[in-house]
Amino acid sequence: MALLTEQEKIAAVGSIRPIRSRNFALTVPALLLLVVFFILPVVSLLLRSVMEPEPGLQNYEALLGSTTYLKIFLNTFSVSALVTAVALAIGFPVAWALAIMPPRWASIVFAVLLLSMWTNLLTRTYAWMVLLQRTGIINKTLMGLGLISEPLPLVNNLVGVTIGMTYIMLPFIILPLYGVIRKIDPAILQAAALCGATRWQALSRVLIPLAAPGMVSGALMVFVMSLGYFVTPALLGGTANMMLAELIAQFVQSLVNWGMGGAAALVLLVVTLALYAVQLKLFGTARMEGR
Amino acid sequence: MLLNFDRLGAWKWILLGITGLTAAFLILPILFIAALSFGSSQWLIFPPPGWTLKWYAMFFADPRWLEAAGTSFYIAAIVTVLSVLLGLVASFGLVRGRFIGKEGLRALFLTPMILPVVVLAVALYAFFLRIGLNGTVTGFVIAHLVVALPFSILSITNALEGFDKSIEDAAVLCGASPLEAKLRVTLPSISHGLFSAAVFSFLTSWDEVVLAIFMASPTLQTLPVKIWATLRQDLTPVIAAASTLLIVITIALMLLVALLRKGLKS
Amino acid sequence: MTFLQIRGLRKDYGIVTAVRDVNLTVERGEFMTFLGPSGSGKSTTLYILAGFENPTVGDILLNGDSLIATPSHKRNIGMVFQRYTLFPHLSVGENIAFPLKVRRLPKAEIDAKVAKMLKLVRLEGFEDRKPAQMSGGQQQRVALARALAYDPPVLLMDEPLSALDKKLREEIQHEIRRIHQETEVTILYVTHDQEEALRLSDRIAVFSRGVIDQIGTGPELYANPATRFVAEFVGDSDFVDCRVLSAQNGRADIAIGSGLTIRGVPMHGRAAAGGAAALMLRPERLSLARGSVGQGSANLAATVTDITFLGSNIHVAAAAETGEALSVRLPFGHEAASSLSRGDTVSLGFDPASAHVFSA
Repeated sequence: MALLTEQEKIAAVGSIRPIRSRNFALTVPALLLLVVFFILPVVSLLLRSVMEPEPGLQNYEALLGSTTYLKIFLNTFSVSALVTAVALAIGFPVAWALAIMPPRWASIVFAVLLLSMWTNLLTRTYAWMVLLQRTGIINKTLMGLGLISEPLPLVNNLVGVTIGMTYIMLPFIILPLYGVIRKIDPAILQAAALCGATRWQALSRVLIPLAAPGMVSGALMVFVMSLGYFVTPALLGGTANMMLAELIAQFVQSLVNWGMGGAAALVLLVVTLALYAVQLKLFGTARMEGR
Repeated sequence: MLLNFDRLGAWKWILLGITGLTAAFLILPILFIAALSFGSSQWLIFPPPGWTLKWYAMFFADPRWLEAAGTSFYIAAIVTVLSVLLGLVASFGLVRGRFIGKEGLRALFLTPMILPVVVLAVALYAFFLRIGLNGTVTGFVIAHLVVALPFSILSITNALEGFDKSIEDAAVLCGASPLEAKLRVTLPSISHGLFSAAVFSFLTSWDEVVLAIFMASPTLQTLPVKIWATLRQDLTPVIAAASTLLIVITIALMLLVALLRKGLKS
Repeated sequence: MTFLQIRGLRKDYGIVTAVRDVNLTVERGEFMTFLGPSGSGKSTTLYILAGFENPTVGDILLNGDSLIATPSHKRNIGMVFQRYTLFPHLSVGENIAFPLKVRRLPKAEIDAKVAKMLKLVRLEGFEDRKPAQMSGGQQQRVALARALAYDPPVLLMDEPLSALDKKLREEIQHEIRRIHQETEVTILYVTHDQEEALRLSDRIAVFSRGVIDQIGTGPELYANPATRFVAEFVGDSDFVDCRVLSAQNGRADIAIGSGLTIRGVPMHGRAAAGGAAALMLRPERLSLARGSVGQGSANLAATVTDITFLGSNIHVAAAAETGEALSVRLPFGHEAASSLSRGDTVSLGFDPASAHVFSA
């Protein structure tokens, strides 16, 4: 006998007499799809990394022991870090402005963000291939202004990948950061000003610390997404700065080396899931999307 | 102060400047491609020396482009239907169900969203090699369904959680059977969730490149695969024409969503 | 035959009992309220009536037939919920027509009934509005019309006004009374608001910790509370610790503090001579006199701690000699109250027959 609130009732049902199977059956069709066409194939790919060509860890030894591959890992991390840093540096002021500007202006910027996000990935990458090529408008404009005499190499290198990936990642950092800044009570900053803080002090000691969780979470998300990106690096990057996703595809498609492909996939998977776990640990939730 | 637009002073113009430049950075390449698709230069010179529709003519004259677009649409349509149906049923289980491991299951359903697609692509490619599904519509549909389903489940569980179960109970007390109450009251009430599940599922499949590159065969390819393959050869303006058509479809879908949202509010 | 009968109802959630030993009969056309704090079992009982929960033990009989095996949608019971439960995608008219449509009534009949219901809740002309365009009070009136559209023998109401502000709440309480009189439907009403219960009900069942403490009309509960809980929950009350000297025939002689003895107070519960008990007094039944009055009469000495002017009433807070905080309600203009100030010693007198003793 006890006083029971609705929550306690639910808790009691959950903890004391769990109804094991209520509505579980409804999730079975989707679960089946994921088990057969997601978990099973991924696990068997990872297994091949220790089974082919023969059981053992030789694939990992080859992968981690070779400077060629280590260079690719390093390149993947540095490109992702660079893209994250640039996206954050641009994204913070934009998110800040969006949070406080008149709604009518903000809605125009939102429309641009959404249109960019929803436009086909290949279309966006193609646009940058055209813009950045030797005879492209950027090189032509710079030469027309007399700033350079020779066309700059902007494609098939680090510059191209960074521009192309930042272009794609920007909305993914602006939107969550906007949400975080939007929730900060403007009165807190008025209080800071009344306490005698200058603008810079209010920015560095109040606004940025308050927005920091959003910045870290958004940056982690962009970083993880960048690590596994395939299309944009493959089209805008050069052979000199190949990224991990391309390496996996190459092992499988060109070299038909499933063992090495599986090993590289495992490395990418472990890093992704580890960072995802950090995100979960820090913020409880995480929304990520990779292509 | 810092969060009061009118009292930012000079900082206001700096922030607006950065925002304006960023918006331009995001929108200009898209407009640029649309403009070039009407330009007469084979080498995509800007500004174009003249204007023409020949790239569109080439696009529509080439059966391989049209076939690829048709395949994309067909696959995306099937994926949309299956994704919404599976997502709807699973969401009812996840939101209304009481069983051990429910939260874990919910997280599992969303993992295809966070996993690098290339890993799934390679894994599915290997699996499909064994069971002979590469280069088939079934294979494409399954692959795209795996990545579309999380969006569907996310949209529908959100809508269902926002729907007060008492409303369904009220319908039952009014005399509707539990199934009838779901069909006549619950589903119409969460229609915005179902609709965004459908749009996201469709776009996920329609725009998907990486899985498609692995699944495709010489006889069956989607529009993104066709663009990818063409891009690897040269930057022909036909791609600009195809891209512009894709942009138009995207804008149309965005407007449709915006209109429906407005309709729901009023 | 009894119209509605609840027999030996009990609901367990695992090892926790939400409600037990509920026995209740309701007459046709009666307005019965389940009153109690949250978690007291009143809503659980209502949900069992609606068929959303199955009782662990017990039965519900409507006109002599058991309802337990009948699923919710075939019980033909009406219900208005605590939250707004209008179907958001349907207009007001379509909402009211919904139960009639699922019963496949002819269109002309449905239209006539919808018009009649809109008139009943005084929302003529609102037919084509969507729920989102209406205020909370209007929405609950539509919900009421929808629940009554199919002439259910019983209407359940689960704190239907709790989301509304006080003024609107009173207005709709008035509407509910009128509609109850017009339709003569039997209503089972759940609330935690004693004022609402008193205003609306023919009879009230007071729930506490999963059992019904007492069933009776408002005046009965107020004048003769069966338990200390009922006394506390219905109306305002003061409690003073006491000892039972002797008890017989439902009357007790009690002692307060060191010297005061009071004889012939109505007694509830059992207490052996010498047992601890609580004396309950109603603030408006206390008389107040300045200074101290001799011992022996039913008078408590107290010190004034606060005086609050409340319009027609003056509320005096006082500390009894034995330490309890007491409140006294005096009419405006009361002679002794006019010159009263904090710290004054007063004597609070009462009629032993109007007081109650509850065994501790």
